[in-house]
Amino acid sequence: MLGLGADLLWADMNRLLAFLFHQGVLDEQFLQLQQLQDHTSPNFVSEVVNIYFHESEKLLTNLRSLLMEREFSDYKKMEIHLNQFIGSSSSIGAKRVTSICIAFRAASEQDNRAGCLRALEMLEHEYCYLKNKLHELFQIEQQRALAAGVRYPVQHQ
Amino acid sequence: MPASLQKMAHSSTSSGGNYNGSAVSEFPAGLRVLVVDDDVTTLKIIERMSLRCHYRVTTCSEATVALKILRERKGCFDVVLSDVHMPDMDGYKLLEHVGLEMDLPVISKHLSLDCRITLVVDVSMLVSCFWYPFSVMLKIGFDLQTAVMSVDDRTSTVMKGIRHGACDYFIKPVRLEELRNIWQHVARKFLNEHKEHDDFGSIDDNDRNARGNDDNDNNSYVVGTTKGIVKEQKKRSNLKDEVDVELENDDLSTSKKARVVWSVELHQQFVSAVNQLGLDKAVPKRILELMNVTGLTRENVASHLQKFRLYLKRLSGVAQQQNGMLNRVPGTIESKLAATGRYDIETLVASGHVSPETLAALQAELLGHPVTNIMPTVDQTALVHASVHRPKHSRADDPTEAYGPPHVNFPSNSVNNFPQSIFKVDDSSSRYGAWPPSNTLGSVSRGRLGILNNNTVIDLLQHQQKHRHQQKQQHFPIHDQNRSINVQPSCMVVPAQSSDTFQAVNSVASVNKDCSFDRNAIIDYSQSSEKSNNSSSTSQYPGGNTKATSISPLMSSFSVGSSNSNIQQSQNSTSTSGATRSLPSHLPMVFRQVPYDIKSTDSLDQSCLRNLGFVGKANCVPSFENKIESSASDFSHRKVFMASNCNTVKEEPDLIRYPNVGHPALQNYPSHDHSSGFT
Repeated sequence: MLGLGADLLWADMNRLLAFLFHQGVLDEQFLQLQQLQDHTSPNFVSEVVNIYFHESEKLLTNLRSLLMEREFSDYKKMEIHLNQFIGSSSSIGAKRVTSICIAFRAASEQDNRAGCLRALEMLEHEYCYLKNKLHELFQIEQQRALAAGVRYPVQHQ
Repeated sequence: MPASLQKMAHSSTSSGGNYNGSAVSEFPAGLRVLVVDDDVTTLKIIERMSLRCHYRVTTCSEATVALKILRERKGCFDVVLSDVHMPDMDGYKLLEHVGLEMDLPVISKHLSLDCRITLVVDVSMLVSCFWYPFSVMLKIGFDLQTAVMSVDDRTSTVMKGIRHGACDYFIKPVRLEELRNIWQHVARKFLNEHKEHDDFGSIDDNDRNARGNDDNDNNSYVVGTTKGIVKEQKKRSNLKDEVDVELENDDLSTSKKARVVWSVELHQQFVSAVNQLGLDKAVPKRILELMNVTGLTRENVASHLQKFRLYLKRLSGVAQQQNGMLNRVPGTIESKLAATGRYDIETLVASGHVSPETLAALQAELLGHPVTNIMPTVDQTALVHASVHRPKHSRADDPTEAYGPPHVNFPSNSVNNFPQSIFKVDDSSSRYGAWPPSNTLGSVSRGRLGILNNNTVIDLLQHQQKHRHQQKQQHFPIHDQNRSINVQPSCMVVPAQSSDTFQAVNSVASVNKDCSFDRNAIIDYSQSSEKSNNSSSTSQYPGGNTKATSISPLMSSFSVGSSNSNIQQSQNSTSTSGATRSLPSHLPMVFRQVPYDIKSTDSLDQSCLRNLGFVGKANCVPSFENKIESSASDFSHRKVFMASNCNTVKEEPDLIRYPNVGHPALQNYPSHDHSSGFT
């Protein structure tokens, strides 16, 4: 039964992945990431994604604090943050986050503060969504790995 | 900051498992890559990718640290892959330093043994077991190759990268396939140097002596002092007596003069002086006068000028690669072309990706080509497209059927025909950016359509303040992409190198692609979709616009440089005259934008290749009159090139290879819901 469970979980994972792809949350780059994972680095994807989360949260905090300043003018700095965000998001294949970042960058290039704020809110929302979904994905994968690891004792003659 | 990140803030070297200094099984394995990026995520991913390619990778999250590593471990890296935007040091600055300090042949000669082994393997792979004598290899040496990467896909940024001597420009996310191809730069460098060496052996030697003079001082820029270098040379020279003699000579030439440090500022001064004089007329004495720097001698300037010329030559190769890249077949057409321009056979062999049938098709095409008048050209183009696209579009309808109509419709300039004619033009531009269809004929109808589109473009540009528009900009290309992919089943051999195009909004290259897909869509979907297609194409134009304005002049500059010789060689007077006619209008821009205007006839085929890359761009923005003209000129140049360079037949198959670059099926998933978020 447990072996079957692994298959089911595998199917679940694929379904979730397909869903995320369909929504445009992830893109092909994420598959590249998965392809890079092999026996020499079995947790590569989750490691990278965790680094990404760590970095992104810093960036989001920075962006928010920058935008919340009363005499806000440092668009240049914001663009630097955003460029980094775009780079890392696109590297892990977080497509929607990337595109919001690009819009965000465009808004900041035009010194459009209202636009920046709106974009930031969207970005935070999208980021949370991505984070939740990826956590879900990793959880399923973990369960699957566990289930796949279960071996019934072989009856030796 | 977690410990793992902390570790990476310094530098960590990890080695692709099976690398073994002396026994490298296949060349790219063991390529020594330094990756510099402040973004840890990217760094981690690229590190992993490099390992997958069996490179020996060193990662580094700070540019200053990277520079330090590069100085301390001179000759320990074959390729530097650097981010452009970094907090401590601009990627360009890093490039400049690398270019000025480490790209000198004298220094690059002192490479570690590993490098030469790599080189041997490399050569044997490229020219099928052609073994260069050891001494020659030592003489040639390797330059450090640098590539930059960025999320910034604006033309200006890319151009800046080129000007600073980057040999490649990746737009993030970097893909495994792109990374897998970086060894080509090293290989090309080698072949290039070798060729130069053969051609200008004596000059090279003189130059080296002159450079030897420069090498004597211990200064902040050169970390390895002369002493260290000599020691290193000696150590190495034990390997072979012949080599030893040669190196001793070099040592002797390292005489007593104080070395002039060509700092970035000094170099800038030098460049501006050269620009002021014009590269052709720049003589050391005049430059020296213009620079007006105390302590600088004519000899210093002379040697630097020589270096600079070589650098420009190299740069011209780079720029043409860049073209290909802008054409959004990253690191591919470009590099192939760059290579094939110079050493056709070798690279062809090296590339090994040429399928026999495409080769045959192309050869047939090329043989038929000299008989050019306009109609046959169209015909041939269509033919080539047919043959080229067969592997790619595995859809049911016959390719010739799909490509046939254009050449019928072209001459009649009626608007009704525009979908087909666009389809055709665009095909030629997006795929090869090269084939010289009867642009002169087609331009009217396209022009009209272009104007239509362009109005919307301008509108869009003006109203960009709103996010919605930008959002659209981002999403329409993707949208199109989806469509196009639906059209083409994903049966590609080569995995998509171009997926990043779809994330990069204004991406230069996406202009091309999207255009072509756009038109696919026009054809495959009924009139109802045409509206959306229009708007989607507008969304790509902003990118195209900037490109066309900023780069096609550059291209024209090259065609100017070489147009005379082209004319001489060309069989096709009509097209050439068209080209020359449009050129003057670009000239002023040329000189403003391109300080390094290469006019030597060496760059003849390079310039043609350049055109190759840019036809697509100009074509994508067909609305402006002069752009049409320029695209026409590009086309005709291309034609000339085709006609005159029959000996480069071998390079064409490479062109063909790239269209095969596929789009993984998973990109099909649209992201409409996202764009709605902004509305």
